[in-house]
Amino acid sequence: MELNSRVPSGPLADKWNNHKFSNKLVNPANRRKYKVIVVGTGLAGASASATLAEQGYEVQTFCIQDSPRRAHSIAAQGGINAAKNYQNDGDSVHRLFYDTIKGGDFRAREANVYRLAEVSNEIIDQCVAQGVPFAREYGGTLANRSFGGAQVSRTFYARGQTGQQLLLGAYSALSRQIHAGNVKMFNRREMMDIVLVDGKARGITVRDVMTGEIESYYADVVILATGGYGNAYFLSTNAMASNVTAAWRAHKKGAGFANPSFVQIHPTCIPVHGDYQSKLTLMSESLRNDGRVWVPKKGDDKRRPSEIPEEDRDYYLENKYPSFGNLVPRDVASRNAKEQCDEGKGVGNTGLAVYLDFADAIKRDGEDTILKKYGNLFQMYEKITDSNPVEEPMLIYPAVHYTMGGLWVDYDLMTTIPGLFAIGECNFSDHGANRLGASALMQGLADGYFIIATSVAHYLASNSLEEVLGSEAPFKDSIQEVEGRIDKLLQNSAGGPAGKLTVDEVHKELGRLLWDHCGMSREEKSLEKALEELPGIKKKFWDSVYIPGSGKDLNQSLERAGRVADFVEFAEIMIRDALAREESCGCHLRVESQTEEHEAKRDDENYTHVSVWEHISDVEAPKMHKEELKFEFVTPSQRSYK
Amino acid sequence: MSSINLTLKIWRQHNSDALGNLETYDLDDVHTDMSFLEMLDILNEKLTKEGKEPVAFDHDCREGICGMCGAVIDGIAHGPEKEVTLCQLHMRNFSNGDTIVIEPFRSRAFPVKKDLLVDRSALDRIIQSGGYVSINTGGTPDGNSLPIPSSNAELAMDAAACIGCGACVASCPNGAAMLFTSAKISQLALLPQGHAEKKQRALSMVAQMDEEGFGNCTNAKECEAVCPKGISIRNIARLNREYLFAALTEG
Amino acid sequence: MWFVRFLSSSIGKKLIMATTGLLLLLFLCTHVAGNATIYMSSEVFQGYADELHSHPLIVIVFSTIFLLIFLAHIGMGLFLFYQNWQVSKSRYSVTTRVVKNTFSSETMPYTGLIILTFLIVHIFSFTFSSSEVPISVTVKEMLGGFFYGLFYIVSFIALAFHLNHGFWSMLQTFGMNHPRYNDAISKLTLILPLFFLIMFAGIPLYFMTGLGASY
Ligand SMILES: Cc1cc2nc3c(=O)[nH]c(=O)nc-3n(C[C@H](O)[C@H](O)[C@H](O)COP(=O)(O)OP(=O)(O)OC[C@H]3O[C@@H](n4cnc5c(N)ncnc54)[C@H](O)[C@@H]3O)c2cc1C
Ligand code: HEM
Ligand code: SF4
Ligand code: FES
Repeated sequence: MELNSRVPSGPLADKWNNHKFSNKLVNPANRRKYKVIVVGTGLAGASASATLAEQGYEVQTFCIQDSPRRAHSIAAQGGINAAKNYQNDGDSVHRLFYDTIKGGDFRAREANVYRLAEVSNEIIDQCVAQGVPFAREYGGTLANRSFGGAQVSRTFYARGQTGQQLLLGAYSALSRQIHAGNVKMFNRREMMDIVLVDGKARGITVRDVMTGEIESYYADVVILATGGYGNAYFLSTNAMASNVTAAWRAHKKGAGFANPSFVQIHPTCIPVHGDYQSKLTLMSESLRNDGRVWVPKKGDDKRRPSEIPEEDRDYYLENKYPSFGNLVPRDVASRNAKEQCDEGKGVGNTGLAVYLDFADAIKRDGEDTILKKYGNLFQMYEKITDSNPVEEPMLIYPAVHYTMGGLWVDYDLMTTIPGLFAIGECNFSDHGANRLGASALMQGLADGYFIIATSVAHYLASNSLEEVLGSEAPFKDSIQEVEGRIDKLLQNSAGGPAGKLTVDEVHKELGRLLWDHCGMSREEKSLEKALEELPGIKKKFWDSVYIPGSGKDLNQSLERAGRVADFVEFAEIMIRDALAREESCGCHLRVESQTEEHEAKRDDENYTHVSVWEHISDVEAPKMHKEELKFEFVTPSQRSYK
Repeated sequence: MSSINLTLKIWRQHNSDALGNLETYDLDDVHTDMSFLEMLDILNEKLTKEGKEPVAFDHDCREGICGMCGAVIDGIAHGPEKEVTLCQLHMRNFSNGDTIVIEPFRSRAFPVKKDLLVDRSALDRIIQSGGYVSINTGGTPDGNSLPIPSSNAELAMDAAACIGCGACVASCPNGAAMLFTSAKISQLALLPQGHAEKKQRALSMVAQMDEEGFGNCTNAKECEAVCPKGISIRNIARLNREYLFAALTEG
Repeated sequence: MWFVRFLSSSIGKKLIMATTGLLLLLFLCTHVAGNATIYMSSEVFQGYADELHSHPLIVIVFSTIFLLIFLAHIGMGLFLFYQNWQVSKSRYSVTTRVVKNTFSSETMPYTGLIILTFLIVHIFSFTFSSSEVPISVTVKEMLGGFFYGLFYIVSFIALAFHLNHGFWSMLQTFGMNHPRYNDAISKLTLILPLFFLIMFAGIPLYFMTGLGASY
C-alpha cells in the first residue's frame, strides 16, 4: 500500500493556494459529461453534492434516511469554529491551526489542518449567505462564544442547534440542485459495496431499504461522506443508523483505514440508566463553564447530594488541574470521571456517574442568569431524567462521541483507491488523536464546500477513464456478492428464533467488549484479551443471530444485522491499532505510557505517524503501514493542563 | 424508577397496498425511565423472540432533532407531552394498566409504507420548490457585511427550528402542511438574504404544497399544539401575507 | 392567469373566505345599526324602513352585491368543507383534539348553515312580506311568537360561534398575528360576537318577554 500524502511544497500559508493553482481543471462545458456519486448527506455529503452540481457535474447522492435532512450532523449542538477574529481577541488562521493541531496532540498532518483553518472563514460567509440564522449581537453583527476551553471566542452558533442549522443550509443548497435536475437524490439506500473497474472506483452497490432491491450505480468518481463509526460501541451519542459499513466495504476493497482506535469520549453525557437503553444523549460541553464537577470523598455515600457537606466532597478536576479546573479538555475530563467511578466514588443508581453542580453558579449569578444560558439544556435533561438541575446536581458520565479515525486520505482527500474520496467524519484527516469542540462541523463543510471540487477536477483531468455502463462484470459481481452476504445473514432464520440471539444482543456484547477494553484507557493485556474474545462474538453472530422477515422487503432487523456484522469485523483493527500504538496521545491513553502524575505521555520518537491498516483477506491478519508525520512549522509540545 | 404493564394497540400494515389493522400486544415490566421508542425496541425484541415480525418505525437521532420519528399516540401526534418528539417522550407519562393506541402519521400526502413508517418525501419536495436562497458556493460577502437585528435573527431561528417531522400535517384536521411550509418561508422572509426571491418562493412553495395533496388550513391550531419545536402559527399568518403580496404583485 | 392561479390555490381560497367574511361582517354592522332603531320606538324603526325602501335602486344594488358575496362565501365555504372532509374522514381510530376552544372552529360549516337557513326564512318573512302591513308590525308579531323567536335566538347564537372563530381566523388569514395585538384580538373575538348576539337576539327577547308590549 503506497501512502503518498501529496502535500504540496512551499511555505505553510501558501500550500493551499499553490495547490489550487497546480491542480488541473475541467472545462465547464465538459463537466456535465462526468458523473459523481456522493454517499451521505451530512454536512460533508450535502455540501459536496450541492457544490459539484453547481459546477456542472452530474451528481447522484445517496442516504439511508428518508430525507437528506436527517443525517446525523443534524444533532450537533455547540457550534462551528472559524478564524474570523470578529471579537478582536487575537485569533488568526495560524492560531486556529495551532490550536487544532495541538488539540489533536500532534498526530495530524500540518498542511491539512492549516488549510482547514484557512477555509474556515469562507464557511461562515457561505452559511450566512444561505440564511443560516446564526446568533447575533444587538448591533446586528455575528455573535461568538468560547468553546471547549479555547482562549479566544471563535465559535459561531445558532442556539443549541448549530449542526441542525448548518445542515439545513447545506440541505437547502442540495434541494435547489435536486430541483434543477443536477442532483439525483436516492433516499433510503444503504451502500453495501464499492465497485472497482481497473483498480479505480467506478460505482457503488446499494440496497433499497424499502424494497430490498440490490442496485448498482456507476460514475467516474465516488465520494464517501458516511460519517463516523462510534456505534461500534453500541451505546454512543451517534444516531442509530450511523455505521462503518460504507467505509469498511471500501477498506476491504483496498482503501487504507487510518487510526481506527482514535475515538473521542465526551465527558458530559446523561449516564446509562438501564440495559434497555438504546443511545446516549450529549449534554453540551458549555455546561462545564458554570457547573462544578464533584463526587463524594468516600465511596458508596448514599446521602442525597444536598446533604453532603463541602468537606465531604471531592472537586477532583479543580483540585487536580488548578489552572483549567472544570474546563480541561474532553479526554482529560472523561478519564478522570472514569477513574473516580472505578475507585467506587461514582454516584447514581449504577455508580457510573459524577455530579455536575450548578448550585454555586446559581448563588453567584442568580437562577435567571443561569437559566438564560442553559435553560434549554436543563429542560432537555429534565425531560429525560425527571430531575431538575436547579434543585439537584446533574448526573453525567462520559460516552463515545466522535471518531477521529477513518479512511486514510491524501491532501486531495483521495483514499488509497484511485477515484474514491472520503470527506467529513468518515476520513481521518484533520483532528489527529483528539478533536476540539466545534471543529467537526468546520471540517465537514470545509471538505464539502471548498476542497473536494478541486480534487475531483484534478483527478478527472489527469486520468483518462474508460467508459462504463454499469453492466460490466465488476458491477454484476458486486451485486452477487452483496446478495450472497444478505442470504448469509438470513441463513439462521429458517429454523425459527428458538435458542437464537437477536442482533441487538450481539451488538451489546460487542459494545461492552470494546468499552471495557478499548475505551477510555487501554492496556496491553486487556487489549489482547479483547482480541482473543472477538472471534467468539463473531462466531456467535454468524451462528446464532436470528433475523425475522426476508431480504426482499423493508426489514429493519436485517439492516441492523448488516451493520453489526461489519462492526464486528472492524473491531479487530480497532483493537489491533490500540495495541500497536504503545504511547498515549490525545484520547488514546495507554496505561503503560503515563507520567508520574498519571497524565498521558506521548512518545514522539516512535509514534509520530498515522497508522494505516490494509486488509489482506478474511483469514489473514491485517497489515499496518505508517505515514510518518513531519512537523516543519510547529514543534510538538507535551500538553499540560495543570 | 418503577415498572408498568401496558396493552398496546399498534397499526400493522404490510405495505402500501395491503390493508392494515390494529393489533393488540401486552407488554409487561416497562420501566418508566424508558423512552417511547425504547419501549417499542423491547416489544420488537419480544416479537422477534416469538418468531413474529417486529413493528417497523422510523427513527434515527433519538434526541428530538432529526425529525425522523413520529406516530400518533392515543390520537395525539408525538403523544401527550408538550413539545417533545416521540423519541423524547418517556414512559413516565403513562400509568400501569394503560391501553395505548399507536397509529402512523396519516395524510393523503404521506402514504403508509409499513406499520408506523410513512413516506414524507412530499415535505422534501416543498423545500425543493423554493426553500432556499439561490446562491452558489463561493464568492459570498463577509458574514458581517449584512447586519441583522438580533430580534429578527431570533425570530428566524424560531422558525428555522422546524425538524420536518410532519406532526403538524398528521394532527391537522385537514391534513394541511401550512405550519411546515410557513416555517421555511418565515425564516427566509425574516432575513435579508431571503428577500430577493421572496415572492417567487412563496408562490412556488404554496403551489407545490397544493400539488402534493395537502389540505387547506382552517386555522384550527392543532399543528401548533403538537409541534415538538413549538413553531407558532404566527408563521402561517406571515405565509398568508407573503403569499397575498406575491400573488398581487408578482409577474 | 394570475388571478385564476391565485384563486385555485389553497391560500387563495382562504383569502376569498376571509374577504367575503369581512364584507359580511361590515354588512352586519350596518344592519345592526338599522335594527337598533327598534329599541327606540316603532316610529323611528318604521321611519328607517320607509326611508330605506324609498331608494329602490340602492336597495337592489346593495342586495345583489350582498347576495353575490354571500354566495361566494357559502360556495367557497362548502367547497373547502367538502375538500377537508374528504381528507379527514376515518383517518385515525382514536382522535384527540389538543386545542381547547375548537368547538367554534370545528362547527364553522354547521353554524354557517344555520345562518343560511335563518337568512332564507328571514328574507322571506321580512323582505318579501306583504307591503300592506307596516314592517314594524310584522316584526313585532313574528318575533313575539315563541318558536319563531327561539329560532331567531338559536340562529344568532350560531352566528356568535361562527364569528368567535371567524373573526380571529379572518385576521390570521390576512396575516395579522402579532404578539402586541393578539391580546386585543382575542378580547375582540369574544366582544364582537357577544355584541351581535345581544343586539340581534335582543329583539325577539324584547318582544317575547313583553318588554316591547307597548311597541
Ligand atoms: C450529539 C453530537 C453533538 C455534536 N456537536 C458538535 C459540535 O457542536 N460541533 C462540532 O463541530 N461537531 C459536533 N459533533 C460532531 C459532528 O456532528 C459530526 O462529526 C459531523 O456532523 C459529521 O458529519 P458528516 O457529514 O461527516 O457525517 P454524518 O452527518 O454522520 O452523515 C452521514 C451520512 O452518510 C449516510 N450514510 C452512512 N452510511 C451509509 C451507507 N452505508 N449507505 C448510504 N448512506 C450512508 C447517512 O445517511 C448520512 O446521510 C457532534 C456530534 C454529536 C453526536
Ligand atoms: C353574516 C353571515 C356570515 C358572516 C359575517 C361570516 C363571517 C365569516 C368569517 C369572518 C369567516 C372567517 C374567514 C377565514 O377563516 O379567513 C368565516 C368562515 C367561514 N364561513 Fe362564514 N360568515 C357568515 C355566513 C356564513 C354562511 C351562511 C356560511 C354557510 C355555509 C358560512 C360558512 C363559513 C365557513 C365554512 C367558514 C370557514 C372557512 C375556513 O375556516 O376555512 N359562513 N365566516
Ligand atoms: S412545523 Fe413542527 S410539527 Fe411541523 S414538521 Fe416542523 S417541527 Fe414538525
Ligand atoms: S429520532 Fe430523531 S427526532 Fe426522534
